[in-house]
Amino acid sequence: MRLLLFALLLLPTLSCKKEITTIREVVPDNYIYGINGDTLYQSNVEKTKQKSSEQYLSILYANLFQSTIPPSDLAQLSELRLASGDKQLIDELVLNNYINGGGAIIPSDAEMRADIGQFIENTYIRFFLRLPSPYEVYELREMIESDLELTPELIYQGFALANEYQFY
Amino acid sequence: MKRRDFIKKTALTAATAIAAPYILPTGRLFAATGARVVNHVVYVLFAGGIRNQESVEQQYLFNQGILTGGNLMENLLSGAAPTQNLVYSKWPKILANPLSMQGSLFREVRYKTGPTGHYNGHTVAITGNYTETGLNLNINPDYPTLFEYYRRHSDPERSAINAWWISEGLGPYPSLNYSLHPSYGPAYGANYLRPLTVFAGAGLEQFGNAVAYQPDDVSRINQLKSLLDKNFPLSAENLPGLQNRPEDREAIKNFYLDTIAKVQSGTIEVPTPGNDYSLLSGDGIALTGAWEVLDRFAPELLVVNTTNLDVCHSDFSSYVNLLHWADYGVGWLWNKIQQHPVLKDDTIMICIPEHGRNMESNNLVDGNGLRAYDHTGDDNSRRLFAIVAGPSGKVAQGQNFGSPNNPVGESIDIVPTIAHILGFHEEIPSYLLPGRVLDEAFV
Repeated sequence: MRLLLFALLLLPTLSCKKEITTIREVVPDNYIYGINGDTLYQSNVEKTKQKSSEQYLSILYANLFQSTIPPSDLAQLSELRLASGDKQLIDELVLNNYINGGGAIIPSDAEMRADIGQFIENTYIRFFLRLPSPYEVYELREMIESDLELTPELIYQGFALANEYQFY
Repeated sequence: MKRRDFIKKTALTAATAIAAPYILPTGRLFAATGARVVNHVVYVLFAGGIRNQESVEQQYLFNQGILTGGNLMENLLSGAAPTQNLVYSKWPKILANPLSMQGSLFREVRYKTGPTGHYNGHTVAITGNYTETGLNLNINPDYPTLFEYYRRHSDPERSAINAWWISEGLGPYPSLNYSLHPSYGPAYGANYLRPLTVFAGAGLEQFGNAVAYQPDDVSRINQLKSLLDKNFPLSAENLPGLQNRPEDREAIKNFYLDTIAKVQSGTIEVPTPGNDYSLLSGDGIALTGAWEVLDRFAPELLVVNTTNLDVCHSDFSSYVNLLHWADYGVGWLWNKIQQHPVLKDDTIMICIPEHGRNMESNNLVDGNGLRAYDHTGDDNSRRLFAIVAGPSGKVAQGQNFGSPNNPVGESIDIVPTIAHILGFHEEIPSYLLPGRVLDEAFV
C-alpha cells in the first residue's frame, strides 16, 4: 500500500518536471499558432515523435479552423478510425471533409498567387511550425507557378498528409 | 494447442522464413495457385449465438413448453414456417430454393473446445484454431487469419482490396482483420469495415462534405506530399494496421463517398421487404455494407457477421425475430450475388454461427413469457450447423451431413475449406491449421 501511495505521489511530480524542463516534450495538442504563443521549430530534425491519431486529428482541426475540435467530433472521428482497417484512408477523408465542408480558414487562389512567397511561409508555419528553407520556398514556388490548377485547398491537403505533419 | 506449442511453432516458422524465405512447405520455390473451385467466397458468420433447436431442428417454441414448431429460416433451410403462436414479424421468403438445397447442409457441427464467447467464436472461425482466451479483448489473434493465408499464399499475392472483413458491431471485432503472427500480420490483412459507423451516424456527419477528387487532383496532392517528404527524414508509414496500395485507397475512398451519397439520397438497397429502411436491423446494415463491397469490388474473399441475435440473453422473442430477419438478409445477399455479372455462378457462400447457446434457460423472461438463454459452454452451446452453397457441378446440391449423435465437421474446418475453394490450402504450413477440408460439400 505504501508503495502504491508513493507511486501515485511520484507520477504528477515526474510529469510536471517533464513539462518544465523540456518544452518539446509537451504534446502540441490543439495547438493554434499565433494564439497560444508557441515558438517555432528551428529545424524539422527536432521532430522525432509521431502524433497519436487523436493528436493528429485535433491538431488538424485546430490548424484548419483556428479553434479547438468539439469533443463530440473527436469521439466520432475515433469511432470512424476504429470502423475502418485503413486508418490513413480515414484521415484523408476527414481532411477532405474539412477542406471542402466550408469553415476552414484557407486563402483564396487569387490571394495565394498575389504573393506566393508569403503564402508559402505562412503555410509552413501553420502546418510545420517552422520557416521553410530557401530551397523549399524555391521548390514549392516552382510547383505553384507551373500549375494554375494547384489550389490552396490541394496544397493544404499535401501538407496535412506529409510525413512531417505526423511528427512533433 | 497450448501457448508453449504455439510459441515453439511460431519460432519454427520464423526460423524457416529466415533460412529459406522462398521455399514453401510443398517444396516449391514460388507459390503456385492450386486448382480453384470458384473465384469468390462469401463467408457469413451467422453469429450472436444460435441454438440448433431454433435453427436446423426447427423447434421454434417447443423448448418453451408451447407445442408449436416450424422453420424460422425459410431462406436457408427447407421446412414450413410456424403458423400459430407467432412472436415475430414474419417476412416473405426471398429465395425460391433455400440455400441448403443449393448446396450442402452440415446439420451437426461441433465447436469442440474453448469458451463459447463471441470473440472466441469469431477468432476460431477466422483463424481455424481454437482459443482459450476468455475475454472479448480488442487485440489481434495469435494465429494467422484466413485473410492473411489468402493474401500471402495466393499466386500472385493479392492486395487488400480483395479481402474484406465486415462486422455489425465494433468491440473486439476490428482486430480480427490480421494476426500477431510474425510470419503474417498487417501486411496480409483484410480491409475491415463497420458499415453502421462509416455509412451512417459518424460517417454521415464527418464525411458528408468530402468530395471525390479527379485523378489529376489526387496526383497533385501526392506530388506535393512527395516533395515535402523528400525534405523530412522520418516516415509515418508505421501507422498501426492495414495499409492499402495508394490506388486501392483512392478507390475505397470513392466507394465510401458514393455509398454515403446513396444513403443520403435514399437510393441504397437494403435487405428488408419493400426496401423499408425502418425495418433495418444492425445485421441488415452489415449485410447491406457487404453487398455494396461485393458489388463495387467483387472481392475474392469477404467475411461478414451478424450479431443482433445475442439479444437472446434477455429476450427470446426478439432473438426469434432477428434470426428470421437475418435469414432474410442472407437470402437477399445470395440473390444479389446471383444477379452480379462477375460473382454469379462463381461464388460459394458458407454460413455458420460462431457458437450455439445453452440447453437450459436463464432466469429472465421476456414480454411474451418466453425464457432467455445464455452461452456458457455447455454441450448445447457447442452445437452448430453449417451451409456450403454454390454452383451445381462444383458444390454438392441438397446434401445433408451429420446428426446429433454423429457430428460432421468442426468450427475449425471452415478456414481450410475456404483455402481449398480458393486454391491455396496446400501452401499453408500444415501445423497452422488443425482442421480439415469439408470435402463432402464438393462434387
